Amino acid sequence: MSTKVLICDDSKIARKQLAKALPNDWKVEIEFAENGQDALEQIAANGFDVLFLDLNMPVKDGYETLEALQGVASAPVVIVVSGDVQPKAIERVKAMGAAAFHKKPATAEDIRTLLLELELFSPNAQASETPNEVVTAAESFTLQETLQEVSNIAMGRAASVLAEMLNVFIKLPVPRVSILEVGELQMALEYSVKEDSCSAVSQGFVGSGIAFEALLIFNDSSFPDMATLLGMTDAISREHETELLMDVSSVLVGPFMDAVGKQLNIDFSHGHPTLLGQHVRIADLINVKKASWKRTLAVEIVYEVENYQINCDLMLLFTEDSVPTLEHLLSFLAEDE
Amino acid sequence: MSMQSDGLADFHWMFDLLHHIDVGLVVLDRQYKIQLWNSFMENHSGVSSSIAKQQSLFTVFSDLEQSWLQQKLDNVFGLKTPIYISWEQRPHLFKFKCYRPLTSIADYMYQNIAIRPISGPNGAINQVCLVVYDVTDVATNKMAFEAIQQGGTTKA
Repeated sequence: MSTKVLICDDSKIARKQLAKALPNDWKVEIEFAENGQDALEQIAANGFDVLFLDLNMPVKDGYETLEALQGVASAPVVIVVSGDVQPKAIERVKAMGAAAFHKKPATAEDIRTLLLELELFSPNAQASETPNEVVTAAESFTLQETLQEVSNIAMGRAASVLAEMLNVFIKLPVPRVSILEVGELQMALEYSVKEDSCSAVSQGFVGSGIAFEALLIFNDSSFPDMATLLGMTDAISREHETELLMDVSSVLVGPFMDAVGKQLNIDFSHGHPTLLGQHVRIADLINVKKASWKRTLAVEIVYEVENYQINCDLMLLFTEDSVPTLEHLLSFLAEDE
Repeated sequence: MSMQSDGLADFHWMFDLLHHIDVGLVVLDRQYKIQLWNSFMENHSGVSSSIAKQQSLFTVFSDLEQSWLQQKLDNVFGLKTPIYISWEQRPHLFKFKCYRPLTSIADYMYQNIAIRPISGPNGAINQVCLVVYDVTDVATNKMAFEAIQQGGTTKA
């Protein structure tokens, strides 16, 4: 009798990687779901033994899915596999009924150990020589899909470091990847940063033919809560604000780039973070008229701190000439494992 | 024998490079004791490496705001990620005279600082490195530019 496994992740790559990481000698029937809603519907219709669940997904995220599964009599055993490695995230999913948590990406070895621990699987002496036929080798992924998954993992690592420094929980979104014309970038920024006044820090990165800027934009209304969290008691002066900007950008951008670099196998060189502007309009951050570039590949992540009014927007802006190299490197990433 | 002397020669030129590169390099252990103090730091501070070494950074520079800097250093040790300090938040962390005392308009050197974790062979972080960049020209230019802009708006 085979085990019925459902893999729920919004990323096609993550679904494929996880399916490949399942033990070859485990008799399973695998189905896939693209978000929590999809998973719940499939569970209601078909019933499953094991659910591998991502946390940051559109429509219905992992937490909402776990919540909906509470009290369901025939609910599957849930194993959360997520890039969000904040200790509080792990605590929460376990409190909500998840049997285990594993950080993304999980290797075949990791999954095997985990399944053995949970006694969901016992090694089969007559291991079937035919691996689970779930993935066709020729499946290919777009640049958007791979970059989104790389960013998703990096975003979780960075949030975990910031969460540790501030002792808070960071709400993570689904990273947005898009190719933007110079004017569209400004529109995208205006859409994300809803306030009139913002402050921003930029740091440049370069390595292996890839160049990009990491732009961190804060709503100016975030400063009072940030100051409280970092233990500043005095009235916030401009120097204090610079200090908050530099500290938060250091701990968000550094680990993020470290995680991106590790995945791409590039040790990026980087400049010192530069204060782009304080209390400026978002439109003034990027000078559309003077910009010599036309298009950029943009990854956008909006970080929010739970229970505090802190909102910042991390934008990775790749130069147009980096795109072919990046595409090449990312294609290896999707092939591997 | 030749292998060994090559290794020694390599070490010698690398050390020479560290000492004479035109940025300040300070390596501290977990007790903030100075492990490396390069020529940039020696010459600008007037404190020689032989005196600085094995002393706490806060003993050598009593005017440093200890609780403030200590928190930064501890964060680098704890979070294992670099932390940056911009001249705009702390213009002169180390109060060094400007490199061009006669032709520059600044009295003191403006500095950008990077505090980086240094991982040992086993991956543990037992030391951090302070990198001190002289950004006096950038800072004075930016301040002059802003002064002109503000002057302009006042007149208009």
